[in-house]
Amino acid sequence: MGDMTIVFVPPCQAACPINTDVRGYVSALARGDAEEAIRIIRRVNPLPSVCGRICTRLCETACRRAQVDAPVAIRALKRYASDHTKHLTFTQKPLNSYSERIAIIGSGPSGLTAAYDLALLGYKVTIFEAQHVLGGLLSEGIPRYRLPKEVVQREIEDILSLGIEVRTGVSLGKDFTIEGLLKDYQAVFIAVGSQKSLHPKCKGDNLPGILSGVEFLKQTDRGNTSFLGENVLVIGGGHTAVDAARTCVRLGCPDVTVVYRRTLDEMPAGREEVEQAELEGVKFIYLASPVEFAGEEKVQRVKFVRMELGEPDPSGRRRPVPVKDSEFDLEADAVILAIGYIPDVEDLKQDGLKVDRKGTIIVKDDTGITDMKGVFAAGDVVTGPMSVIEAMASGRKAAGAIHRYFRSIPDKWVDNRVSLRSLDEPLVSLIHKSERWQMPVLPVEKRKSTFDEVDLGYEREQACREALRCLNCGAGASVDSHCATCLNCLRICPFGIPVLGKETAEIDISQCQACGICAAECPASAIHLSNEGKDDLRQEVEQVMDRARQETPEIAVIGYYCRYHDPLGPPLDNDEIYWIARCCTGRLKESQIIYPFEIGADGVIVSLCLSDECRFRQGSYWVTEHMKRAGRVLKETGIGEDRLSVISDEEDFTGFREKLETMGINPLRKGKKVGA
Amino acid sequence: MIVAELKPFEEIMNMVRDREKLLILGCGSCVSVCMSGGEKQVELLSSALRMARNREGNQITVGEKTILRQCDPEFIQQIKDEFPHYDAVLSMACGAGVQGISEWMKNVEVLPAMNTRFIGLSDGQGKWVEICAACGDCVLGMTGGICPVTSCPKGILNGPCGGNKKGKCEVSPDVPCAWVRIYERMKELGKLDELKKEIGAKDWSKKQRPGRYTIKEKENEKVS
Repeated sequence: MGDMTIVFVPPCQAACPINTDVRGYVSALARGDAEEAIRIIRRVNPLPSVCGRICTRLCETACRRAQVDAPVAIRALKRYASDHTKHLTFTQKPLNSYSERIAIIGSGPSGLTAAYDLALLGYKVTIFEAQHVLGGLLSEGIPRYRLPKEVVQREIEDILSLGIEVRTGVSLGKDFTIEGLLKDYQAVFIAVGSQKSLHPKCKGDNLPGILSGVEFLKQTDRGNTSFLGENVLVIGGGHTAVDAARTCVRLGCPDVTVVYRRTLDEMPAGREEVEQAELEGVKFIYLASPVEFAGEEKVQRVKFVRMELGEPDPSGRRRPVPVKDSEFDLEADAVILAIGYIPDVEDLKQDGLKVDRKGTIIVKDDTGITDMKGVFAAGDVVTGPMSVIEAMASGRKAAGAIHRYFRSIPDKWVDNRVSLRSLDEPLVSLIHKSERWQMPVLPVEKRKSTFDEVDLGYEREQACREALRCLNCGAGASVDSHCATCLNCLRICPFGIPVLGKETAEIDISQCQACGICAAECPASAIHLSNEGKDDLRQEVEQVMDRARQETPEIAVIGYYCRYHDPLGPPLDNDEIYWIARCCTGRLKESQIIYPFEIGADGVIVSLCLSDECRFRQGSYWVTEHMKRAGRVLKETGIGEDRLSVISDEEDFTGFREKLETMGINPLRKGKKVGA
Repeated sequence: MIVAELKPFEEIMNMVRDREKLLILGCGSCVSVCMSGGEKQVELLSSALRMARNREGNQITVGEKTILRQCDPEFIQQIKDEFPHYDAVLSMACGAGVQGISEWMKNVEVLPAMNTRFIGLSDGQGKWVEICAACGDCVLGMTGGICPVTSCPKGILNGPCGGNKKGKCEVSPDVPCAWVRIYERMKELGKLDELKKEIGAKDWSKKQRPGRYTIKEKENEKVS
């Protein structure tokens, strides 16, 4: 790790186990470009629709927007990107072709990701799946109202289209052994997950009517939907517990209660899911733990003891401890246990793999190397139950390790990402607040009787607006060696970020808000914006002027508008205005305002924002300043300063248009066609 | 710092009237700091010139370049290969830069795009104020760090004249009287007594032009 190069990435990206360029795709969505967004997502993620629905979104937990108001709804945006690009096909071709064959046991997110990576690298991959359907918990376990099965199957088919072979309905130990596989395959990757249900150690836990959560959800997914009874108790606080409870509601159980031994704050399922469950009628009892299951022939009652939170346990959560003499009984027609899962490793042990006390496979490190040559393991079978995205990351690391193992590449994958630090407090108070867009959901009444997807997904407008809430962390300004140390940037930054360094001005990329005002004002052109290249705007102007030359309107006006002010597109619909969006018009330089005239535009307008709404506080002040200076140049050059205008509505444009009418076309185009 | 400003555009246009290929040369030092002759202004002026000449139907080719300093031959040498491609160089440096190129590049015609104004001090964002007349005989040690030579329109050295009204100069009510400011500053410093000292006649021979400054000469002085 000594001479490792550190890469600073936005907090969302640093938090993502598969290193998704979140800022990149969110900013593409802010531009309304879902295709570019999905391309960025797919660079690292073969399961975007799945993750867009059920990812545990570590990115949102890390999002710095939360310091200001609420995190950007990144998962909902990912879903928007994948749902709105279904018409695209993403056929990727393997980069190489290697002769080695690899067997992957298990087709959950870890196995699928490893299969995808290895096939893309050029290996011959075969997936072995015990069930008849691929996907692991994605296909059987996570209810379809959260994750529709066709979404899962579509993405799996995309992955398999890389030429991956599949054997379903064959399980390790019964139908094949690792040793057997190693005769035909040069490497075996075990990703069988962690699905053996834990039972609370109390009396009566084997009474009929007590079910395992995962098993119950699996059976439901397979269509075995028998009525459990009027009164169902679900014990546990994870996703499985809440999923089981909401599934019961959908199966017609009128009285469903989740009992959790800690409080809502410690609940792994997350507040949003609990809220949705409550809306559907699920009741929650916190700080209670079962001590006895009782009943004649089948479970009828559960005795619970009240708990209270004591000292923190190794996981950092406060340990629940029983309160003396606080037992109480609850009636139950059925009980669903969802208190935890461990891998089912009996068969693996027989194959000679080492297993630790927790019942997970022992590996050398997070690349999944086991002590059996050519055998790798990762995902829940190594870590115990984790999230889908973590399982995917584990599959990716293992695929990398398998590749290095075959190709004798010595160096190990190292995570050199370092997150930009949090926003400084004084800065937080200067950042414009903007409410998070709530996910539209299916009406509660409809949910109780169907397994239709609850989250409906954003519409274009919601996605655009939500994407624009992104603070573009790390996409701001940097100063190069041409800095004349004039210190103008220190004096004009609306957020007070630039400071005088040893020799030049310095801008802390972790705090810069990327408005671009300093870059427009820098006399030495020494400030660069990582989200806008030096000639980007010039090229855009040339492109729209090319269009104007084809469309030959009577006059051609270039219009600049602020994307934050008008997220859905140009503020005015007019055939003579060729609009170009910028994330803040305050970043427009005088030369950029003038340039359209050089290539034949007859006028330039800037759509003015209301200064108190400006995301960057002073954008409208600076664009007005730059317009004045540009106007002076136009006057001096005889092009005419009246060809430049700030407009706020249609009426303004009509007035401007009349003025242009009297001035005639841009003298630089001399009566010929637009832009000629 | 030297403060310079762009000449009126019409004057520049007249100056370059007959030139077809022009190199606009920015300077990365003082004129960048006072935001009048750095890379950004080079881009803007070149765009303006192209447009104005196009409008006249008399196209011009404009090259753009900015170097760190135009007052040292080494910097000029770095771009000497550029010069033969142009009819003239339009320098956006102060007068020193213009003459530097003229001096070191004998066969290159240099034109000034700027009027060099003064040695100045930053007076808030985008503002500069003249602060030093480069008189060659500094008296700031006796005047509380405020220069009467520059700040007093008359440049008088011993107290205010009769034209001072309520602390303002008779030249303009916008100009504070330098000597009132000096008095107030000395009071703040608790050194009003020192104002009783006569500054004496100023040695204006130090201001004789062209001024010269040589390190070697100084060393010789010490030895002798």
